[in-house]
Amino acid sequence: MEPEISNQSLLFLVIFVLVPLTLSYFYQLGMSKDILWSSIRGTVQLFAIGYILTFLFDLNPFMGIPLMLSIMIIIATFHAWNKGKELPHAFLVILLGLIIVEVSVLTLWLAFDMVAFTPSEVIPMSGMVIGNSMVAMGLALERMKSEFTENSGRLMAALSLGAKPSQASHLIVTKTLNAALIPNVDRLKTIGLVQLPGMMTGLILGGVAPVMAIKYQLVISLSIFSSVSLSAMFVTMAMYRYFFNKNDQLLENEEELRNQQK
Amino acid sequence: MEHPVFQFQNVSDDILHNMNFEISTNEKVILFGPSGAGKSSLLFLFNRLRDPKQGDINYYGKPVTEYEISQLRRKVGLLLQSPNLFPGTVLDNLKYGPSLCGEWNPDDAKKLLEYVQLPESYLNRNVDQLSGGEQQRVSLGRTLANSPDVLLLDEPTSALDYRTAEEIEEVLERLIEEHQLTMIMVTHDLKQAKRLGERGLFLMDGELKEDGDIESMLTEPETEELKEFIQD
Ligand SMILES: Nc1ncnc2c1ncn2[C@@H]1O[C@H](COP(=O)(O)OP(=O)(O)OP(=O)(O)O)[C@@H](O)[C@H]1O
Ligand SMILES: [Mg+2]
Repeated sequence: MEPEISNQSLLFLVIFVLVPLTLSYFYQLGMSKDILWSSIRGTVQLFAIGYILTFLFDLNPFMGIPLMLSIMIIIATFHAWNKGKELPHAFLVILLGLIIVEVSVLTLWLAFDMVAFTPSEVIPMSGMVIGNSMVAMGLALERMKSEFTENSGRLMAALSLGAKPSQASHLIVTKTLNAALIPNVDRLKTIGLVQLPGMMTGLILGGVAPVMAIKYQLVISLSIFSSVSLSAMFVTMAMYRYFFNKNDQLLENEEELRNQQK
Repeated sequence: MEHPVFQFQNVSDDILHNMNFEISTNEKVILFGPSGAGKSSLLFLFNRLRDPKQGDINYYGKPVTEYEISQLRRKVGLLLQSPNLFPGTVLDNLKYGPSLCGEWNPDDAKKLLEYVQLPESYLNRNVDQLSGGEQQRVSLGRTLANSPDVLLLDEPTSALDYRTAEEIEEVLERLIEEHQLTMIMVTHDLKQAKRLGERGLFLMDGELKEDGDIESMLTEPETEELKEFIQD
């Protein structure tokens, strides 16, 4: 049986939008426009993706998969880049990082027969890997910037004791990686106990047996875990050097950071 | 002929203007002047935490840029206002510098603690369990671990209370004497300047206004600027 929500039923979703709208009206939150706009935009975006996916799923996998993956990676790159635009070469580093992550994960999936090379499997699964990697890279960039500012005294101390930038940044690299990994470790610990993961919920609603759904969930959860680690590691290792100049001196402000060509 | 330890010739950048002076072995120099005068900026030129836009800085007669940079920084040690210790134990901090070039000798730990007058039992203490004064001692020990021959000090006691500051001062005085160090120290405390220094460099708006014997500078200032500064 294919579960389906009829279009009439879907119309009643308006009620769900009315709740925040009413709240906004009574408490004068001034968010009515935002609420309406985001609801409409979300709906349109999802339907558009629905049609695009339908179109892609009908294509030859050797066309559809690379096409969709490229689009996803480029969009994700722009998003993560927003968190660290002032860092030189950030765009390239993120783009390269996402490609490496996606290609390695996909290779493993296919090599061990965990995922079939069809758009309907590869695209949603890759979407999750790329999306999570994008968030991890953005967080790592933000974290790295704030750690460098907060620890400028320690970095100066390390440099003045004769440390090279790679040695002086050790502390910051550790903290950044920690921050990127901890939420994922925590998520894995409570997985299934508090909230059923989105993909598993979807598969179960779609009529797949729970144990089967769990197998997919395991594949995706662990793939995300390793992609997120790899992503955070990659940007951190690729970017730390841009906080220093070629004379092993700490750059003091954003302007210096931007002007730097190395 | 023996070269001066440091020699500044027409050194300028956005903050400092036309610095010209020499510092010879074992001199005890005090850099002082109002806030924002450029004291820290000048101090960081000595170990190349900064570089000037123009001019020459020589270390023992050779441009600082010709030395391997970490080697230069080891020889020209720096102690900042706040200890900036690395997370971990006292030992982790003490061995940081020497370990970077594989020169750490575990026997040195005891010696370093003795230099800064901390009990041996402190070696494996976590640094965030230490008081401010104790942390500053560890920081000093960490700098000395590289056996520097010049010691740069940027207001090393200004974050400490009066008593603790005096203790650190005593430790510093003894170490500088014992190890024949050349000292360049930034301080706001003019009494401390007289106690620890021999020569004064008075800095204001990035310019070197007076250079001379610290005692006479403070008792008989030559420039109006210094007169006003002392009165405040
Ligand atoms: N990173 C920086 N970028 C631009 N200007 C700076 C920077 N750091 C310091 N300055 C400016 O350079 C001047 C000298 O600063 P510096 O820190 O050397 O002064 P200082 O004499 O050590 O002052 P204080 O006694 O407050 O420590 C100040 O006008 C300061 O605003
Ligand atoms: Mg200063």
